[in-house]
Amino acid sequence: MKNKYRILTTFAFCVALGFGQAPAPATPPPPAAAPVAAAPVALTDKDLKSVEAPKPELRAKGDPDGGLTGTVADIAVSDAKKGLTLPDVVNQIGQNKIAINFMWTLICGFLVMFMQAGFAIVETGLCRAKNANHTMMMNFVVYGTGMLAYWLIGFALQMGGVGAVGNLGGTPPLSSEFAITLFGKPFGLFGQTGMFLTHGGTYDVGVMVVFLFQMVFMDTALTIVTGTAAERWKFSAFIVSSFVLGAFIYPLFANWAWGGGWLANLGVNFGLGKGYSDFAGSGVVHAVGGITALAMGMLIGPRIGKFDRTGRPHAMPGHDIVLVLTGCFILAFGWFGFNPGSTLGASGNGNLRISSIAVNTMLAGMAGGFSAMFYMWIRYGKPDASMSGNGLLAGLVAITAPSGFVNPVCAVIIGLIAGVLVCLSVEFVERVMKIDDPVGAISVHGANGLFGVLAVGLFADGKSNYGGSWNGVNGNVTGLFYGDAGQLVAQLIGISALIGVVFSLSFVANWAIDAVIGQRVSAAAELEGLDLPEMGAIGYPEFELRTPRTAGA
Amino acid sequence: MMILGLLITLLGFLISFASLGMTTSVGGRMTMVLVGILVSLFGIIGLMNKAFLKNAIWRR
Repeated sequence: MKNKYRILTTFAFCVALGFGQAPAPATPPPPAAAPVAAAPVALTDKDLKSVEAPKPELRAKGDPDGGLTGTVADIAVSDAKKGLTLPDVVNQIGQNKIAINFMWTLICGFLVMFMQAGFAIVETGLCRAKNANHTMMMNFVVYGTGMLAYWLIGFALQMGGVGAVGNLGGTPPLSSEFAITLFGKPFGLFGQTGMFLTHGGTYDVGVMVVFLFQMVFMDTALTIVTGTAAERWKFSAFIVSSFVLGAFIYPLFANWAWGGGWLANLGVNFGLGKGYSDFAGSGVVHAVGGITALAMGMLIGPRIGKFDRTGRPHAMPGHDIVLVLTGCFILAFGWFGFNPGSTLGASGNGNLRISSIAVNTMLAGMAGGFSAMFYMWIRYGKPDASMSGNGLLAGLVAITAPSGFVNPVCAVIIGLIAGVLVCLSVEFVERVMKIDDPVGAISVHGANGLFGVLAVGLFADGKSNYGGSWNGVNGNVTGLFYGDAGQLVAQLIGISALIGVVFSLSFVANWAIDAVIGQRVSAAAELEGLDLPEMGAIGYPEFELRTPRTAGA
Repeated sequence: MMILGLLITLLGFLISFASLGMTTSVGGRMTMVLVGILVSLFGIIGLMNKAFLKNAIWRR
């Protein structure tokens, strides 16, 4: 009886699923006859005047369904006597496009600004409680320090020669690039206009949008370094170091990649793909920050107690994993401004690809978090929380450059590789190089930033189309796996510049700061915790802090 | 040793950069750039970092 009931139920289920559906026609119906194309009729001012605005008495009753709001009555008229004319309508369309792009870029910039809060609590959570105030203050102050440096000079060096940013109305004042000629080609080195946002006509609405968006990116690079040097960085030295990075070093590389400099023009001048392509800054932002963090980590040395006399590393766990993972979520949220916002617009020039960029971003983050978690689980027997968080960030860092050029499958592959890479890199930095990086910034941002740049040269699928060209070369960015080896060479030259030039500049600058004011706090201050000696107040005054003595401390 | 490491790090970049003028073949450029990256990495990891480790705080 039971079996009969089962057979009947299965049969009914099959009917409902398959047989119940209408059978597909054997042959498709013939296509409907194509409508006869009407001859185009030119619009005139008279036609526009015949468009009626909603009657005031109707409007006075309210507009619950939205059908009466946003009509011909809302189009700005340039001459009230003439009334609405065709130029008014066309100008309104142009302004609407730019307004959409302004709004998109600004809101994405606001999201990126909020990432500072994510960095602050990730780093603070990964540090010991006795340094909480100091670590938070570094992340808080780096925002203003970087902004000041960038407003004074950094923005001009980076974007002063970028030329027209079509999505934002042209930005014609940003058109003075200093270049030298080598191998018979111009090599743009830095921009020359835009200091104080007034120099050279840069008091301009479009320029302001570019400034805000680029400023928050630069600040992201600066805040990466504070993680590596945390728990032993002298506050005054940190301010000077951050200023130098925000005013000179970051803008220099950013100009080469994004400001019309020589890396961006490797395609135009040397036929290398579409030139160095870094969609949202795996190289410009994260690798610059991570490589500077590497230079700082070497210069400043490890925390007391991190390594014993034989050089064996000891774990120095952070004080609040809740802060760490909450910070990772904030960063993942902010990344939706970082990557999709880098189109600098939502309307025109293929900008609808923002949907694909956003999806790539979330997929790579997920893949990075999972692969790091499983790597740690398999290798050490537990799914380590802080490394899972770092895996998420590694996936996001690695997809930042390719996010605008790859498909979702490649985004997941990039994220999976990034999650394992961050674990391997953390082990290498700590055990082989014996550099103390309390938050793993060198691995998350440096190693994965470089990997992200490389990933463009491998995985870009040639399907993105931002107005038909990229970096002045017709066509779409295409990596080695899709047929363009030249793009990979352009990416590798960018990586070489990051390792060779950015590292050297950061090292020399921080070496000089070390010689003049000293980068490291005293041993006594470090052992006490930097909150009182450096900041004058402890982070958690209500709590009794018990700091376990570690080997060598 | 640290200054030598710094110079070699820069030299690595110069090798990569020189690929732009010395050859037009993609393979040739890629080889030169990869050599340049390896030279820079040797300068950082093999020389500069080693110099710092000689006087590391944990050795004292």
